[in-house]
Amino acid sequence: MTVTTSGASGARAIGSRVRKADGPALLTGRGRFLDDHTLPGTRHAVVVRSEVAHARIVDIDVRAAAASPGVVLVLTGAQAAAHAGPIPHFIDPAARGGRYAEARCLAVGKVVHAGQPVAAVVADTRRAAEAAAALVRVEYERLPHVLDADESLEPDAPRLYEEWPDNVILHNHYGTGDVDAALAEADLVVSDTIRIARTTTAPIEPRGYLASWDDLDGTLTVYGSLQNPHQLRWMLARSLGLDETAIRVVTARVGGSFGLKMQGHPEETLVCLLSKLTGAPVKWIEDRRECFMAGAREQVHRFTIGAMRDGRIVAVRDRIVADLGAVSAQAGWAMPNMSATTLASGYTVPNVQAELHVVVTNKPPLNAARGFGKDSAHFVMERMVDLVARGLGVDPAEVRRRNFIPPDRFPYRTATGLNIDSGDYPGLLDKALRALDYDALRARQAELRAAGRYLGIGLAFELTPESADGPGSFVSGFDVTTVRMTMTGGVTVYTGVTTPGGGNDTGIAQIVSDELGVPLSWITVVQGDTERCPSGFGNFSGRSMVVGGGSAALAARDVRAKLATVGARLLGVPVNEVEVTDGQVRAGDGRAVPVPDVAAAVMTRAFAVADDVEPVLESTRAYKPGNIDHVPDERGRIQPYPTYSNCLHAAVVEVDPETGVTKLVDFVMAHDCGTIINPALVEGQARGAIVMGLGAALSERLTYDADGRLTSDRFKTYLMPRAGDLPEIRLEHQVTPSPFTMYGNKGAGEAGVGGAQAAVANAVEDALAPFGVTVREVPLSPPAVLALIDEARTR
Amino acid sequence: MNRIRLTVNGREREIEVEACKLLVHAVREDLGLTGTHVGCLTGDCGACTVLVDGASVKSCSVLAVQADGAEITTIEGVAGDDGLHPVQQAFWDEFGFQCGYCLPGMLLTARELLDRTPDPGDDAIVQAINGNLCRCTGYGSIVRAIRCAATRMAASGERAEEAS
Repeated sequence: MTVTTSGASGARAIGSRVRKADGPALLTGRGRFLDDHTLPGTRHAVVVRSEVAHARIVDIDVRAAAASPGVVLVLTGAQAAAHAGPIPHFIDPAARGGRYAEARCLAVGKVVHAGQPVAAVVADTRRAAEAAAALVRVEYERLPHVLDADESLEPDAPRLYEEWPDNVILHNHYGTGDVDAALAEADLVVSDTIRIARTTTAPIEPRGYLASWDDLDGTLTVYGSLQNPHQLRWMLARSLGLDETAIRVVTARVGGSFGLKMQGHPEETLVCLLSKLTGAPVKWIEDRRECFMAGAREQVHRFTIGAMRDGRIVAVRDRIVADLGAVSAQAGWAMPNMSATTLASGYTVPNVQAELHVVVTNKPPLNAARGFGKDSAHFVMERMVDLVARGLGVDPAEVRRRNFIPPDRFPYRTATGLNIDSGDYPGLLDKALRALDYDALRARQAELRAAGRYLGIGLAFELTPESADGPGSFVSGFDVTTVRMTMTGGVTVYTGVTTPGGGNDTGIAQIVSDELGVPLSWITVVQGDTERCPSGFGNFSGRSMVVGGGSAALAARDVRAKLATVGARLLGVPVNEVEVTDGQVRAGDGRAVPVPDVAAAVMTRAFAVADDVEPVLESTRAYKPGNIDHVPDERGRIQPYPTYSNCLHAAVVEVDPETGVTKLVDFVMAHDCGTIINPALVEGQARGAIVMGLGAALSERLTYDADGRLTSDRFKTYLMPRAGDLPEIRLEHQVTPSPFTMYGNKGAGEAGVGGAQAAVANAVEDALAPFGVTVREVPLSPPAVLALIDEARTR
Repeated sequence: MNRIRLTVNGREREIEVEACKLLVHAVREDLGLTGTHVGCLTGDCGACTVLVDGASVKSCSVLAVQADGAEITTIEGVAGDDGLHPVQQAFWDEFGFQCGYCLPGMLLTARELLDRTPDPGDDAIVQAINGNLCRCTGYGSIVRAIRCAATRMAASGERAEEAS
C-alpha cells in the first residue's frame, strides 16, 4: 500500500469541455461502423421493393432470380409469413386509443406504399444479390391510391386497411378552456392554414444489420446501426418466436440517427430470418435511396388565435392533420400526438383546443425523428405569435414577452396538461436580443429597406419536453447503469443508454469521474450490448444524460462508499473523515491511499481490512427522475415528461425578391437545458438540430410522383444544408436547473429543429413585409418565395 | 478480373478487381481499409473521399481500375508515427465531428486544402468542404477545426524554420 501526501486538484469533470472519448478511433479510421463488421461466411441481402403505391400482389415469380449466379435464397412475403409473425409496434397505437395495423417484414398479399419490401434475395455478394433482385417479377393488381392526407380523410378515399372504417389511425382532442368564448371577447382573431412539408432525418450512415443464427445452440446474434438494443431484442423475440435470452443485440458504432434508427423497421426481422433460413451470417446495408423513404414530419394546421389589444393571447384552436404514410411498427405514428400536446408551448394561454387526425396515405411511413412532433407545434405556435404581433402592430419580441410563463410560476401546468419544471423565458429573450443588438438591427433593416434590400428578423421560442415515459410502452423514463471497478482500479461503466454519435458516453464518463473520484482516463463506457449492459432503453427523447447520467451517478456513489470505507481503515481514520478524489482516498490530514490499492484490498483482504464489507466493487442502479405522473388528472391529462429544455431562436435573413433566394445572415440561439454536463457536447447537439431545422425551413422536401414513387431519392434532389449555406450559428447559454433531475440537467439534442424552422419563416415574412406576404408553408425554396411575392402583388 | 497496382498509404499493394468495381469498394473490401465510408454512392456526400495522387476524390465516383498505378491516401494513412496529424488533432480539440461517419472525408478534404493553401480564409475553407455533407455538427466546428489546424501548422512551421 502506498500512502502519499500530495495535494488534490479537485478539478471537476462535470461542466468542462471534455473531448469526445472516441476521438482517437474515429479520427484514424478505426471506428467500427456496422458495414465494417464481417463474420466468416457472411452473405448479403438485398430487398425487392414495391414499384406501386397500392396493389394486391397476384404473383411473385422468383425463378430467374433463384437461378442467378451466387444466389442462396429468394424469399417472398408468403414464405416469410410461415416463419415470422407480425412485428410488434414500438408503441402500439391500439393501446393509445388508435387503430392497429399489422406490420410484417415482407408484404403479404397487398402493398400499401411504393418501396414496401415484397421479397428478399440473399447471395454471396451484394452485387450478385442486386442483380438477382432485379430479376424478381412481381405481378400486381393495382388499387386506387391516395397520397394526400386531406384527400385521405374524404369518405370516398381509397382505403389502405380494409378492416378500418376510414383512413384515420388516431383521432384525438387536447386542451382545456372555452376557446369560443375567449375568441368572441378577443380584440384580434387570426385564422389561417400552415403546411409543413415532409422531410427526413438522413444521417450520413444509412441503416444496416448483420444477423448470425447459430443452428447448433439455437441463438441469434444481431449487430445493427440502431438506438434501442433491448427493445429490438424484445421485438425480434416476438416476431421470430424466440426466447429473448436466445438473442443478443449489439449496437455497432452509429453514424448518426436522429430517431431513424429506433426499432420497428421490417429489415430488422427480415435479416434475422434470412440468416436463420440460410444458416449463414447475413448482412443488409440500406442504400441512400432506401434511406430517403423514411419520413420525419408532414402536417397541415388550420388554426385560429385570439389576442387582446395589450398583446395577451387568450385562445388557440388548432385542427391538425398529420400524414403518417403507411403504418409500420416504428414509432412515427405517435409523433403528431406531441405536436398537439406541446401547444401552446411556453405561453400562458388559458384556452387551448387542438384536434388531431393522424391519417394514413400510400406513402412510405413516418419514422421517429428529432423533435418527435414537438417541432411542428413550435413552428405553428411561433407563426401564430408573429401573426398576432403583426395584427396588433406590436413588436414580435414584445408579444412573446407579454405571454411567457413568468419565471416565478413554475412548475406550471399547461392547458394540455404538461407540467413544466422550471425556466426563465424572458431571460432567454433578453440574451438573444442582446446578442443580435436588436434595436440597432431593426434600424439597419429600415436603412436597407430604403435602399431596396430585404433584411428580415425572425424570433421563435421553443419548449422541448425531454426524457419521455410512455406508460405501457418501452418509451421508458428511467434507465439503468452498472459501474464496475477492477482490482487495479480500472472502471467500466455499462449503461442501458446508447449513443447515436453525439457523445453521451463522454458525458457519462465525466459524471462517473466526479462521483467516483477517479480520473476520466480510468473510465471506459460500454453501451448497446444486451449481453453486457443492464436492461435499458437506449437513446431517444433527450434522455441519455438525464437517466443514463443519473443512474451512473447512483452506481458510482455506491462504489465510492465502499472505497471510502476500506480506504479509511487503511488510513486508520473514521470513514467520515475521508474523501475520494483524483483517484485517491484522502484523509483530512493530507495523507492519501491510491484507489487501486483500496480496490486490491477489497478484493484480496476480504477477511481482514475489508471484513464486513461485501467484496463487490460494482453497483447496478436505476434512476427515475421526478415530475412524471401517469395518473390522469380531472381532465384526463397525464404528465409524461420530467423536464423541459427551452430556447429562443433569432434568425436574420436577406431575401432577394428577384430570385427568391433566402440568404441566412445570422443565427442566434439562446438556450437553457439546465445544468450542463459538457458545454461542447451540448453546443454540438444544438447546432446540429438548428441546421436540420434550417434545412427543413429552406430547402428540404421529400417529393413523390403521381404514382407515389419517391422522386427526391438522392442528395441532389433532397437538398440538405452544406457549409456554404450557413452563417456561424451563435449560442448563448442560460442555466435554470430542473428541480426534478439528478444534476438539474434537462436534456439536449431534440431542441432546435422546430424553433429554427419557425425563426426562418418569421424572418422571411418580416423581410418581405413591404410586399405584405404571409408565410403559409415550408420549405421556403426560391420558387416558393417568388410565389409568395406574386401572390401578395396580385392580391 | 483486372490486376491493379496501387501505393496505399505509402505501401505497394496489388489487388484483383472486376472492371466495374468502384474504388471505394476496392479500398474497403480488397484493401481492408474500412475507415473510408459509403454514404450515398452518387458522389454527393463526400464520406468516401480519399486522396488520389494528392488530390481529393470521391472514391464512389471512380472505378478501381482507373486508379491503377496511383498513390492513394486514406484516413488510415493520415496520422504519422508520432501521433495524430495536426488536422486530426484540431478536429478532436474543436469538436469537428460527432458520429464520425463523414469525418474521414472531411479530414482528407481538409488535408488537401492545407497542403495547397497553408493559410486559407474562411471562404476557402467553406468552399473546400462544400462537397462534404455532415448531418451532426452544422459545420461551424469543422470550419473552426480547419482554421485551428492551419494556425498550428503555420506556427510549427515557423518554429521549425527558427530551429534550422
